[in-house]
Amino acid sequence: MNGPDHLPVAIIGGGLAGLTAAAALARHNVPFALYEAGPHIAGLARTFVDDEGFSHDFGAHFITNRLAAAIGASSRCRDVSRYGEVVWLRGRAIGYPFGLMREPRFFASALAGRMSPSRESEIRTAAQWFCRRFGTRLASEVAIPLIEAWSGTCADDLAASAADPLPTSIAHTLLLKLAEGLTGRSIAVGYCRSQPETVHVRHVYPIGGVGVLCARLAEEIGDRVRLNSPVESILVEDGRAVAVRVGGQEQAVRAVVSTAPLPVLAKLVRGTLALAPLARFKYRAMVFVNMRFAGRGLLPDVVVWTPEKRYSFFRLTEAPGAIPWLAPEGKTSITVDLGCQVGDSIWNATDDALEQTCLEQLADFIPDAKGRYLGCRVLRTSIAYPIFHREYEADRRHFAATTGVDGLVSVGRNGEFAHILMEDVYWRTLERIQPLLRSA
Amino acid sequence: MLTPARGLEYPQARVFVGVWEPVVPTKPVVKGRERVAAVRDLAAPKTRLLPGQGEQLSLEHVACCVCGQDDAVPIAVGEDFEYHTSADTFLAMRCRACDLIYLSPRPALSEFGRIYPPTYHAFDFSAKRFGLAFWVRRRLEASRLLWACRHLRAGSRIVDVGCGDGFHLDILREFGEPSWKLEGIDADERAASATERRGFRVHRGFAEETALDGGGVDVAFLIQTIEHVSDPPGVLRGIHAMLRPGGRLVIVTDNSDSVDQWIFGGRHWGGYHFPRHWNLFNPRTLRKLSNKTGFRVRSLGTLVSPVNWVYSIRNLLEDYSAPRWLVEQFSLSSAPSLAAFTALDVILQASGRGALMRAVLERS
Repeated sequence: MNGPDHLPVAIIGGGLAGLTAAAALARHNVPFALYEAGPHIAGLARTFVDDEGFSHDFGAHFITNRLAAAIGASSRCRDVSRYGEVVWLRGRAIGYPFGLMREPRFFASALAGRMSPSRESEIRTAAQWFCRRFGTRLASEVAIPLIEAWSGTCADDLAASAADPLPTSIAHTLLLKLAEGLTGRSIAVGYCRSQPETVHVRHVYPIGGVGVLCARLAEEIGDRVRLNSPVESILVEDGRAVAVRVGGQEQAVRAVVSTAPLPVLAKLVRGTLALAPLARFKYRAMVFVNMRFAGRGLLPDVVVWTPEKRYSFFRLTEAPGAIPWLAPEGKTSITVDLGCQVGDSIWNATDDALEQTCLEQLADFIPDAKGRYLGCRVLRTSIAYPIFHREYEADRRHFAATTGVDGLVSVGRNGEFAHILMEDVYWRTLERIQPLLRSA
Repeated sequence: MLTPARGLEYPQARVFVGVWEPVVPTKPVVKGRERVAAVRDLAAPKTRLLPGQGEQLSLEHVACCVCGQDDAVPIAVGEDFEYHTSADTFLAMRCRACDLIYLSPRPALSEFGRIYPPTYHAFDFSAKRFGLAFWVRRRLEASRLLWACRHLRAGSRIVDVGCGDGFHLDILREFGEPSWKLEGIDADERAASATERRGFRVHRGFAEETALDGGGVDVAFLIQTIEHVSDPPGVLRGIHAMLRPGGRLVIVTDNSDSVDQWIFGGRHWGGYHFPRHWNLFNPRTLRKLSNKTGFRVRSLGTLVSPVNWVYSIRNLLEDYSAPRWLVEQFSLSSAPSLAAFTALDVILQASGRGALMRAVLERS
């Protein structure tokens, strides 16, 4: 149930989710105000372009031709020629996912895992889920180390839902991979849960970086974005969101669409305890070291997963291998993902120290890395990925169904507290704000 | 068997700033799926535009025109495989509430000059160029038109909405009752003039804005036009106003419940005709639209047509850069492919799933 129609909908956050919600409301002439705490729109979907012509995004983004078309930005995107992932084990690259299955030790273990008598209902933790699904060898050598690096949490303490199963069946994945080989197109497999994956849904990327998508949405909403306007509180009366406080002023609202991280949302809400459990929810912080090198194709594939503990990072991404326009000709950039916690040694490390560590470790992958090195840019975010800790799994499931407050909708990757990718953010946001469009 | 060739109304470019569908004023804009298809054969193939090449199309998000909901899922992602008029990719959306398939976002009305390029208009479906195919189509079309007019008495008034160059009126004059009063409506000056040159009376304007003098219309035709217009309910209401009580409207349009849509519906289906077909109906949505606009459905069935089959395969081949000689095997001038898919569609038609849909509506 929402408040009176003449009142605006308050949207908190000007990232992809907030802008998607705003554009949809604008199309329906629903009054709204979008409050962005920072000086820019786009949030985690922002692009930094440097003087040398390198585009740096926050980590890797997956954009499909379907998402680009939905936003109306397809003419600003190009096809991604190829996209591949490998896992680096014992000094060599193994294709993901099928290369792993060609390793006899992993295949035998996976088979044994599948045939084990344990029932799905007995699986409580991510570690158990991986062992059951992939077998103990693959789980212990690849899946568990990766999810632990990603989340900063022991896999025994993570809920099984953190294991993040592929949204599609193995048979369907095989079919799409086969089609990819036959057509030579980069088909998006495993990057959208809210819409079907088909042979026609392909990887594309904006010419000007991922920030172009948000810029396109912002065109639709004009000057109704209020930058540097952090929402100080959301006022709830009788279980319904009725107002927001911004800049010391109270604004009556019809509803609130929040993209805020859940602990932040819990603190913003006044007048109810319904969201109190969200204060315990945690996000993984990340440091992205965007390193520039002379040359191209320095890594064995676009994404290299590094589960071995001797590396400080768990993932390397050479985006120009798939998206050449992100770097000047003859040069490339590699994004090094370092999981951390706010305030720990990685988070507090100087850029020089991070640069040094990464360069030394990259020598395993690129022997002449130091000779090719051109410089780096370090980006930090405290809210990269939600951590599905078992201690609040019940609350997370409850929250996934409802915020518990009428007229309060929580959207986006942080707002939903879900492992969702760009296209999911778009479609799920549209779905969640449907009631606001219908009653207008 | 082929469906009728239709004249093409070159759409007038109009800008509607900030208008949110479905309240956009109605206008039949372009005529002739079949004719359009033939144009493609005549036009020199163009190269695919890469992003950044050419101006970006101005696009508008729209809601479902049948039920008014804005709650749809993407079912197809495709490009302008036939004309390459822009580097945009388009989405065919399926309304969750009523099943209508519609293009969203779609080009703004101000983009008509671009998405219907001059080569699109240069169609010449003549006996001279198409020979036997022309005469076969003309005969077939005559039988279909006369079937729809079989109940009419002498002196009845028949209007072809979006008459184009008068192709259908010409057939009715040749094969129908000499006493029938035949008129056309078309908003495009060139189309209207062409029909007048054939000796017919033409009302210039859009169906929903045109008031006809002297008595109601007995039968109106809307053949392979409704999928092109921005506001189908508005067009039907306009026609409703010009019909006499009990008068009939005959609609022919692509059937989105067809087998070819089921096979090629993820991207290459000819019926999408990206980005020029804005609303694609199935029997349920056409029935719903008819009831919503004050019509009673007298009959609703499917017709045989090989065109979407042929263009679905052509689009697929074009998309994957097949050799030109192979692509050219799938066109309206390729008798073997037309014959083969006509035969196939005859079988499908027997099970009620022909590629085209025909509805006969009655003003209630």
